Amino acid sequence: MAEDIIRQFTSSEYKEGFVTDVEQEFIPKGLNEDIVRLISRRKEEPEWLLEFRLDAFRKWQAMPQPDWAHLDMPEIDFQDIIYFAAPKKDKERPKEIDPKLAETFDKLGIPLQERDVLAGVVAVDAVFDSVSVTTTFRKTLAEKGIIFCSFSEAVKEHPDLVRKYLASVVPSSDNFFAALNSAVFSDGSFCYIPKGVRCPMELSSYFRINARGTGQFERTLIVADEGSYVSYMEGCTAPMRDEQQLHAAVVEIVVEKDADVKYSTVQNWYPGDADGKGGILNLVTKRGICKGSGSHLSWTQVETGSAITWKYPSTILKGDFSSSEFYSVAVTNNHQQADTGTKMIHLGRGTKSRIVSKGISAGVSQNSYRGLVRMGRHAQNARNFSQCDSLLIGSRCGAHTFPLIQSQNPTATVEHEATTSKISEDQLFYCNQRGIGPEDAVGLIVNGYAREVLSRLPMEFAVEAQKLLQVSLEGSVG
Amino acid sequence: MGHGKYVIPSIASVSPIVVQAGEVLNLEFVVLPGESKDITVFVELAGPGAEAHLKGLYLCNGDEQVHFRILMHHRAPGCHSTQLFNGIAGGRAQVHFDGTIVVAPDAQQTQAYQENHNIVLTDTAKVETKPQLEIYADDVKCSHGATVGQLNENELFYMRSRGIPEKEAKTLQMLSFLSPVIPEGREEEILLSLHHVLE
Repeated sequence: MAEDIIRQFTSSEYKEGFVTDVEQEFIPKGLNEDIVRLISRRKEEPEWLLEFRLDAFRKWQAMPQPDWAHLDMPEIDFQDIIYFAAPKKDKERPKEIDPKLAETFDKLGIPLQERDVLAGVVAVDAVFDSVSVTTTFRKTLAEKGIIFCSFSEAVKEHPDLVRKYLASVVPSSDNFFAALNSAVFSDGSFCYIPKGVRCPMELSSYFRINARGTGQFERTLIVADEGSYVSYMEGCTAPMRDEQQLHAAVVEIVVEKDADVKYSTVQNWYPGDADGKGGILNLVTKRGICKGSGSHLSWTQVETGSAITWKYPSTILKGDFSSSEFYSVAVTNNHQQADTGTKMIHLGRGTKSRIVSKGISAGVSQNSYRGLVRMGRHAQNARNFSQCDSLLIGSRCGAHTFPLIQSQNPTATVEHEATTSKISEDQLFYCNQRGIGPEDAVGLIVNGYAREVLSRLPMEFAVEAQKLLQVSLEGSVG
Repeated sequence: MGHGKYVIPSIASVSPIVVQAGEVLNLEFVVLPGESKDITVFVELAGPGAEAHLKGLYLCNGDEQVHFRILMHHRAPGCHSTQLFNGIAGGRAQVHFDGTIVVAPDAQQTQAYQENHNIVLTDTAKVETKPQLEIYADDVKCSHGATVGQLNENELFYMRSRGIPEKEAKTLQMLSFLSPVIPEGREEEILLSLHHVLE
């Protein structure tokens, strides 16, 4: 009975697992300097960007793939990946969105038409494999001086801004996957909020992997100038396949004096089937810098997807009295593996950070929190509080915590605490006795456990995230 | 295991202290000013119901380098372990605490707790703490906590406003901070060292 339930859910519940049948253009498989040049040429990029890519590629070649994470990583054959795939444009109507693509995003619940009800509060940049399909509300935003467009367009229309900030937070030699991304990145979102502007709507990027045998390498750059505010959301899905697909993104956020950026992610990549076949390898570098004094950056993430997650959204607190938060819920089921956490580097005086991480493991999955809190020599009166809780469902999964605290300042205060527990029989009994089935009860308890994080999400996301948690864990009891 | 990697830190190469069923291990460490120490302890709770309790105290005010590496491996069900390490770092001291609790897949009903608290006195001292949990069983109660901070200003003010001189007040603060880890009969010695640290 229990097995039936598990089989049912793991085979049918990933409802974003469909494939869009659209004509696509590919470049040849493999990775070498010619491929890097080809990608750059195809995107009609200026010389400096090609140089940047080639430089990154050369650095990448000299780097070994990291293996310090608590992950059982399959060998990735970087020559067996197609680094660029784009849906073909209709030559007669180059300006219009292919109806099939519109339909795809519609099915995923992403409004590409500005008249949609939900669209009233969210501007979307939709990325399909290697290209951005469309960015909505550009005009409305432009009236306020806000730039929100695909990365490729930004390179053409605002080269100075891109050149100034690109790789200023994540240098191309930062790590293996960041270097790879810097060499072959295809598209992503660019967002610039000018001085003193409060962005009137949520900005959102939606990443969709569709083509077989490809990888997605997007690059996002968010710059919030003095005193501005923006709330940015990221969502992603991919079809169900037997093969594993690589997703290596880089996100850079620059927060100037008194600016406030809220970055939320709901990661819903295909996690692989019940036997651990297929799924996305999500190897992502995300980092922000609180550059000016009084700036604020908040990360909120809900991780339910991808076969392997390797992701540490971090903040460099450089400006005096800047602050940052990291709220995370990571759910792993079946054979999923997650090694995720954050880094808070306190450099400025009076900087504050808060970390709340909730891990949930079920099935035979492995879920790790890995974090770093560093108090620099000049971080007078800096303060950090970290809380990392793990919830275990089933006796064959693992939950791990690897925090590192470094303090070089006698006035700085760091606190870390972690607990590991399971859903108790008493809690389940209480629910069952009141007519709540075992699966609903687990959903209820898990939602309560993750509430502190979920409540930080923008409204549209919070609803989706709650449902996702339920779906991800279905079949894990009994 | 089949899936996932089972990581045990390199100190597993040190021969372990094996605690069998029903046995209780108590270990206490004291590192006083002027001593650089590298302490590696590997405890294996091998029999059901085994217990291990570790306590550590360190006080540094010079160029000391103190490094603790603790591995608590719960291999059998129903075992209980506690770890408490409190220390004060002044001068140009460097303190590292690496503590790992590993709970093996079948070690159900495990209780494992670990705490490491630090006070940094000078801006040239450095503290690095790495409390880690690796858990492969679900019916467990495990927690760890780590803090790095300073002497509480309010407490100090309270005492000074009642006529206790600053130095004595600070000594009292440090003494109370260390008291849970001071081994029986060594109070005098620790008190002397505290005076030494404040000079």
